[in-house]
Amino acid sequence: MRRLDLWMLLATVVIGACAVLAQSSTARALASPGFVNRQLIWLAVSAVLLVLFSFTDYRILVRLAPVLWGGSMLVLLTLFVVAPLRAGTHSWFVLGSYTIQPSEFARVATLLAVAALSAEHREGQLDLRRIGMLCAAVGLPALLVALQPDLGMALTYVPILLAALWLGGLPWKAWVGIVLVGLAAAGGAWSFYLKPYQKERVLTFLDSERDPYGAGYQQRQSQIAVGSGGVLGRGLRGGTQSQLRFLPAQSTDFIFAVWAEQTGFAGSALLVLTYVALLWRVFAVAFCARDRVGMVFAAGIGLVMAVQILVNIAMVMGVAPTTGITLPLLSYGGSSLLAGAIALGLVQSIWRLRFANV
Amino acid sequence: MLGKVFLDSAWFVRDDLRPLQRRLVVMLLALGLAFLAMLARLWVLQVVQGDRWRAAAENNRLRRIPLEAPRGTVTDTHGEIILDNRPTYQLLLFPEEMKDAARTESFLTRIEIADAGEVRARIARARKTSHLPSIIADNLRWSQVAAIAAHQAEFGELQVHPATRRSLPAGPAVAHLVGQLGEVSPEQLAVDPSLRSGQLVGRSGLERAFQDTLGGTPGALVVVVDALGRQISSLDEEPPILGHPLQVTIDLQLQREAAEAMAGQVGAVAAIDPRDGAVRVLLSLPAFDPDLFAGHLEPARWRELNDDPLKPLHNRALQALYPPGSTIKPLFAAGALADGLRTPAEGVSCSGAVTIYGHPYRCWLKGGHGGVALTSAIEQSCDSYFYRLAHDTGLERLASWATRFGLGQPTGIELAGESSGLVPSDAWSRRARGHPWYGGETISVGIGQGPILATPLQLAVAYAALVNGGFRVTPHLSATDFPAPQPLNLDPQVLATVRHGMELVVGGDRGTARRWSNLPARFAGKTGTSQVIRKVEGVKWYELPWEQRHHALFVGYAPPEAPTLVVAVVVEHGGDAAAVAAPVAARIIQRAFAPGFDTTAVKPNLPEGVDLLPTATAEEPDTPDTTAASATPSTPTGGAPR
Repeated sequence: MRRLDLWMLLATVVIGACAVLAQSSTARALASPGFVNRQLIWLAVSAVLLVLFSFTDYRILVRLAPVLWGGSMLVLLTLFVVAPLRAGTHSWFVLGSYTIQPSEFARVATLLAVAALSAEHREGQLDLRRIGMLCAAVGLPALLVALQPDLGMALTYVPILLAALWLGGLPWKAWVGIVLVGLAAAGGAWSFYLKPYQKERVLTFLDSERDPYGAGYQQRQSQIAVGSGGVLGRGLRGGTQSQLRFLPAQSTDFIFAVWAEQTGFAGSALLVLTYVALLWRVFAVAFCARDRVGMVFAAGIGLVMAVQILVNIAMVMGVAPTTGITLPLLSYGGSSLLAGAIALGLVQSIWRLRFANV
Repeated sequence: MLGKVFLDSAWFVRDDLRPLQRRLVVMLLALGLAFLAMLARLWVLQVVQGDRWRAAAENNRLRRIPLEAPRGTVTDTHGEIILDNRPTYQLLLFPEEMKDAARTESFLTRIEIADAGEVRARIARARKTSHLPSIIADNLRWSQVAAIAAHQAEFGELQVHPATRRSLPAGPAVAHLVGQLGEVSPEQLAVDPSLRSGQLVGRSGLERAFQDTLGGTPGALVVVVDALGRQISSLDEEPPILGHPLQVTIDLQLQREAAEAMAGQVGAVAAIDPRDGAVRVLLSLPAFDPDLFAGHLEPARWRELNDDPLKPLHNRALQALYPPGSTIKPLFAAGALADGLRTPAEGVSCSGAVTIYGHPYRCWLKGGHGGVALTSAIEQSCDSYFYRLAHDTGLERLASWATRFGLGQPTGIELAGESSGLVPSDAWSRRARGHPWYGGETISVGIGQGPILATPLQLAVAYAALVNGGFRVTPHLSATDFPAPQPLNLDPQVLATVRHGMELVVGGDRGTARRWSNLPARFAGKTGTSQVIRKVEGVKWYELPWEQRHHALFVGYAPPEAPTLVVAVVVEHGGDAAAVAAPVAARIIQRAFAPGFDTTAVKPNLPEGVDLLPTATAEEPDTPDTTAASATPSTPTGGAPR
């Protein structure tokens, strides 16, 4: 245990505690106490998984990456066949009263695959073939997720590719190309892919007065919740925005608003700083990793989490459009917690083995 | 510790990882900046703008429901209720909680709150004051209350709210008297701090005149609601302060009697106590259903009423102007006696016409009245006598007498919107008509015809002065607060002579209204028929279409010896004063002074098959000259007025 990074563990535990407090509050508002119990079960399972994966050798998993990645692709494909339509998407397997969201686990597998692909090439060797393989490794699962359709989740795959290309030393001309392609993709998505309600969200974000009772409703309520928290908040379980259910999707996408309303700037800054500490440790692990695989994996998971946190909180504060990106470790959802625990466990494993001469 | 990490790693790291570490540091710097920006934004949102958002959150969950103050009740002089309140249901809309305006709109249209366009307009208006609830429907039917309750879960922004609404047991008979209510205007709010936005205030009639007494102060109820609009608990109640009750001088019995006697007619009745000016009857016809104007929303029928050529929203008793016709003769007679221009004994010979300025002015009686003196000229309404009087005295004196009795100026009643009427002068003629006064017009004015106009209430006030010993009274509705009568300094002997003439109008052998002399309660007065078009020889009045018939006027008083009631009646296009207007006054006087007498026995005296109702008016243009002060004077070559 002493060979694990205790600061990262501590940060994880603090965030987990915040999650329990926030979730118990929304469970009260939504009058469904079962939510908290489930979240507690998921947290316990996650803790076990985290420790378990801390003591595996990440290099073995990286070696298994092609199998894990391929398996994930198969699972994502079968989702289209067997998964029922829930909340408008084919994102979940249903097992009794539990649901599993494979895209969360597929993301870890994708990270492993990207790390594996980054393993052997040397500086300056990031050739076109390698770039192509990286793009395929990330693009295929992202595309399958986007088709479910779950655009928010698909977007969280992008940082993996960016991290791999950045650390791999992609020349600046290529970055220019990526920006151009990204813009073209955004334009194409606007014209052909985005649903009217998604366009509406973007337009609403650009002009918040556009439709205060339609698409802007959620963001306005969320903004009110965060803002009304003030300096010290309205007390746990005390916020009217969450307790009187003006706040939408408050156990998942807008959980940060619940926390911010009840604990104010003090609590929300504490949570953000804890996230920063956690990320700092993850990147420290990347910095200290013994090899490229560990470095890319840790940096990848760090960047994915950082982007998720930034985009989600920006959305909750009303400065980014609503995208359906959840807040890691805080939003309700077993799959997200479990996959997060596995990823963080692997980061611990990288830390544990940083000096290993095996 | 962090430094140690970097130092440690520097020792053990593989050379080929160093470029990756450099890039990692760049990535960290970028992320660090992003997190800093996020913290800054959180600071702004929660610490800097915290209070603002807190207020928004309060608004979100707290509903402030206005509690209307029930307005004061109004009773008549005997304590009978004129105006009361009854329970009703209003529909409140909390626009900030509305998620789908189109759905709400179609729901409200479906339960027949109003037609789609009107519902949309009301919702749009409600959204302008988004932080306050708006009343978007008034006077809900039970079926509507039930429909809203059944769909409450879908439309959390709607709330059925118990309230009160004005109830008028006497109905249209008191419509103009009571007047209309409406939501307070922004201008009124700016002037009077005791008013609250959305409050109902009187727009006309008693409701407006006595707003301060009747109004009360609205309260509010602050309740906590959830996002579905369900009330969770109430936080604060500011109880409304009820309006004060008011007793007015109106006599509802007489008011109803007047309405029945005038049923189907167009015109007005004003009755006052000549001793102090207390208004007993104030009626205008056609009337409207006063319940239409008792709430917050303009009724759908408003436009229809407003566009009606008969102008039912107009309070004719104090707004409509009529040439007084022969009812002005007692005023001029009193003036002539007082100024010494005539003596009671001085006689005139009436041969059916008088030639003045080379022009024949005809008396209404073709064969002439023969020798008439002042009292008999009033009794028989001899035009020749007053043509000569007008010619001998001139316009200035006629005008001064009319003004002395209160014509040409508002009477000062508490009700708003009163017309001044018109007493002509040369200056007025040049200003309003652009030409000097013609001498021939003076002769017409001498019989109350031409550019001299008065309201029914002004006529009642003028006659009150004739019969109360010469005091100008201010007609008033308040039983307690009114100005004292002002002496006009008229010789009692003069007034007694004129009153004798008016008693003969009903009681004399040749009086124009002698057919009403055998009713149990005796009365006196003067008939007046004011001309709408020139009289055509040989055509009886009832053979003319309604809108071409003359206005029928009668101003009466009772009891003749010590009058306590003056009644002025105008029946528009009534045709014949004695046959149509006098019986209305007679009925009111019988009701007041002959208890137990069946007043329905007093009927208009009409030939067989004559219809008094304005049936064919809808397609006709406005009647020629009834209300226009600038109407061109008609030279009465045919002697219509009596």
